[in-house]
Amino acid sequence: MSPEDFDRLQSLMATRAGYRLTRDRMKLAEHRLGPVARREGFETVEAMLAALWARPVASLGWAVIEALLNPDTWFRRDRGTFDTLSGELLPALVRARAGKPIRIWSAGCSTGQEVWSIGMAALEIGAAVEIVATDLSQRALEKARTGAYTGFEIQRGLKAQTMLRWFDQAEDAWIARAELRALAHFTRANLLTPPTADEPRFDLIFCRHVLDDMDAGVRGQVLDQLERRLVDDGCLFLGAGERIGADSLAFRPVSGRQGLFVKSPTVLKRAA
Amino acid sequence: MTPRTCLIVDDSRIIRKVARRIVEGLKFEVDEAADGSEALTFCAAVMPDVVLLDWSMPVMDGLTFLRRLRALPGGDRPKVLFCTIETRAERIAEALSAGADDYVMKPFDGEILSSKFAEVGAV
Repeated sequence: MSPEDFDRLQSLMATRAGYRLTRDRMKLAEHRLGPVARREGFETVEAMLAALWARPVASLGWAVIEALLNPDTWFRRDRGTFDTLSGELLPALVRARAGKPIRIWSAGCSTGQEVWSIGMAALEIGAAVEIVATDLSQRALEKARTGAYTGFEIQRGLKAQTMLRWFDQAEDAWIARAELRALAHFTRANLLTPPTADEPRFDLIFCRHVLDDMDAGVRGQVLDQLERRLVDDGCLFLGAGERIGADSLAFRPVSGRQGLFVKSPTVLKRAA
Repeated sequence: MTPRTCLIVDDSRIIRKVARRIVEGLKFEVDEAADGSEALTFCAAVMPDVVLLDWSMPVMDGLTFLRRLRALPGGDRPKVLFCTIETRAERIAEALSAGADDYVMKPFDGEILSSKFAEVGAV
C-alpha cells in the first residue's frame, strides 16, 4: 500500500469512525485488509483501495473500516471493574430500582466477551438486567450474537468453573447458554452519530478501551453523548487506565475504583 | 519476600520449556517434573505455590497425582492448574471436582496463562 493510500485510510477512519489509525499500524492495516480484498473479489489490497477511492461504495468502505478497528477483547478484562460491578454497583442498583430491570449499555462491545461478563455477574447475584450491546463492526456483532468462542478465546479471562457453568460445549466451540443470551440485545451503532432523544436512558454504561483509540477531537463529543444516555445517578466504566482529562467536563472519576466515573456536579446542576 | 514457586509437570520437554518461559515472566521460580510420580516426590519434600499439571503422562497421570497431592500434609495449599489437550467438558468437570483450582486447555499462550494465574489468586 502506498503512503497516499494510508493517508486516505487514516482520513476515512477519522471521519467515519473517529478512529485514530496511527502510522505504526500500516503493516497491520495491510495484513487486515488482505482478507477483505479477497472476500470482495479484488486481486490485491491496492486494487481494492484504488476502486474505493475511485467510487466510494458504502458497503466496501465499511468493510474496510471494520477490518481496521481494534476488536481485541477478553472475558472479565480489567478484573477490578467486574469486582466493583458485582460487589457494589449491581447490589446497590437492585435495591434502588426495586425489581425493575437494570439497563446496561455495552458501547463498543466488539465480539461480546464484555457483554457475557456483565451478564454472568448479574445472573450470579440474581440481578435483573437488560443489556444493549452496540458496535460499529457488523462482523464483530455477528460473532457476538452467536455467543460462540474457540477454546483459545473462551479461556482468556474465564475460569474453567465459570466456563462450564455458563457455556455449553459444541464440538470445538463454547456457546453462551440461552439464559445468558436472553439478557442481551445486539445492534449496530456509531458512537459519532447522535442518538434519538427519547430512548430510555441507561443505569450503567460500559465504554471500555474505545476512547483511547479515538481521535482527540471527537472524544469529548462521544463522552457528552454518553452522559446524555446515562441516568443522573448512573455510572460509566472506561477501560482501566483510560482518562477523561480535558476531553469533557461531563464526568468525574470515582477514586479507588478502577475505570469508574459518575456525572460531574456541573452536569447535574445543569439538569436540575 | 521469598519468590513464589511453580512446579511444571508435563512429559513434553518442549511444553515445559514454553510454560517455564511464561511462568518465569510472572515472577515465579520454576521447577519441572516429567510425570506425576516425580512431581509427587518433589511435593513431599517442598510444596510449591502453584502446580501446572498435564493430564496424560507415563508412570503416573495428572489426575492420580492431584488426588495423592491433596491427601498429603499441606497438599491442599498449592493452587493446581491442569494444562492439557483434554478439552471435553465432563473431563474438565472431573478435574475440578478432584481438587484442581483451574483448567487450561492446550493450546494456550501467555495471556491465557497469566489470566488463569490471576483468577486463582496466584499473582
